[in-house]
Amino acid sequence: MKKAINWKFTIVLLLIGFMIAVQYNTMEHPKERDTRDIWAIRQELAEEKKIHSELLTEIRDLDRTISSYRTLSESSTGQALRDTVDKLHKKAGTTDISGPGFTIEVRPSVESVAYGIPITSISSDLLTRFVNEVNRFKGIHMEIDGKRYTMMSSIRVINGATTVNGLNVTTPPFTIKIISPTMSDSEKLYNYLLASSIHDDFYLDNLVLEINPPERDVTIRGYPDKFKNLYLKELPKGE
Amino acid sequence: MTMWLPLLGLLLGISLGLLTDLQIPQIYSNYLSIAVLAALDTLFGGIRAHLQQIYDDKVFISGFFFNIVLAAGLAFLGVHLGVDLYLAAVFAFGVRLFQNIAVIRRILLTKWSDRSKVSETKVQE
Repeated sequence: MKKAINWKFTIVLLLIGFMIAVQYNTMEHPKERDTRDIWAIRQELAEEKKIHSELLTEIRDLDRTISSYRTLSESSTGQALRDTVDKLHKKAGTTDISGPGFTIEVRPSVESVAYGIPITSISSDLLTRFVNEVNRFKGIHMEIDGKRYTMMSSIRVINGATTVNGLNVTTPPFTIKIISPTMSDSEKLYNYLLASSIHDDFYLDNLVLEINPPERDVTIRGYPDKFKNLYLKELPKGE
Repeated sequence: MTMWLPLLGLLLGISLGLLTDLQIPQIYSNYLSIAVLAALDTLFGGIRAHLQQIYDDKVFISGFFFNIVLAAGLAFLGVHLGVDLYLAAVFAFGVRLFQNIAVIRRILLTKWSDRSKVSETKVQE
């Protein structure tokens, strides 16, 4: 008799435990409804595909580096390593670089000059916005008022003045130079910027962007400081 | 041993529910919560009956399922009539839950004091 009661209690308690757990699950992690329509899903798919293709390009690049290491004889391994280091330096922006690109003049707007509105330095928010707008395009190199803009660069306000890499950006007019991997990329970016709404943002600050047509050869300076190496350490020789 | 088996069942049920990651739609969670309440009520009722030695299998099992169905049905009716009828079920089961637990507590207390009296008399002997 007692055993039978126990069995029934056990089954009932099992059911109760299960119900409590399900209720807990439902309350803790409510399932979000997928309300995307087919176009939103397609767009996400397109984005993922873009990432996929970028990753494939990167893999191909790295494969090429590996095969170049393999094919080189022992004596020229040093050369291969030096090439890689040069490539990395170029990518990081420490070397001067020239290529197809265009220049942009940032000037005070004609109206602000006519009204005699004092010209102030460009705001850091606006400059950041501009950099983000340009960075939609991959593989570009940029120089803002003679300061190389790299991955490590920062746009900050120091003592009231907008700075790039810690150096003041002069009050307008000043020049921004952008280099793209190819001439057609440069033209694409040029056309994009011509039609971009960034002009309105600049005009609100009484500034205008004068974008010059792409040229074959634009040179920009390298990042003058050395990068701090935080993660890699040199191994002592012979180990 | 007799105590552990039901407890094991409870733990098994909870872990089963958590591991399967089963979820019910938000609109039905009301029904489930009231069903849980009904189940707990029946369970404590069963424990009380067992302690009072008036436990009956049929009453317990039928009460378990019938209460759950009744509570969910009441909630369903309430939703469709626009009256929060499930509150009635929550109230009824809540009150009964407290009463049952109070009775269980008293019975256990009596048992415990009886036992200590017995042991005292034994010591005196």
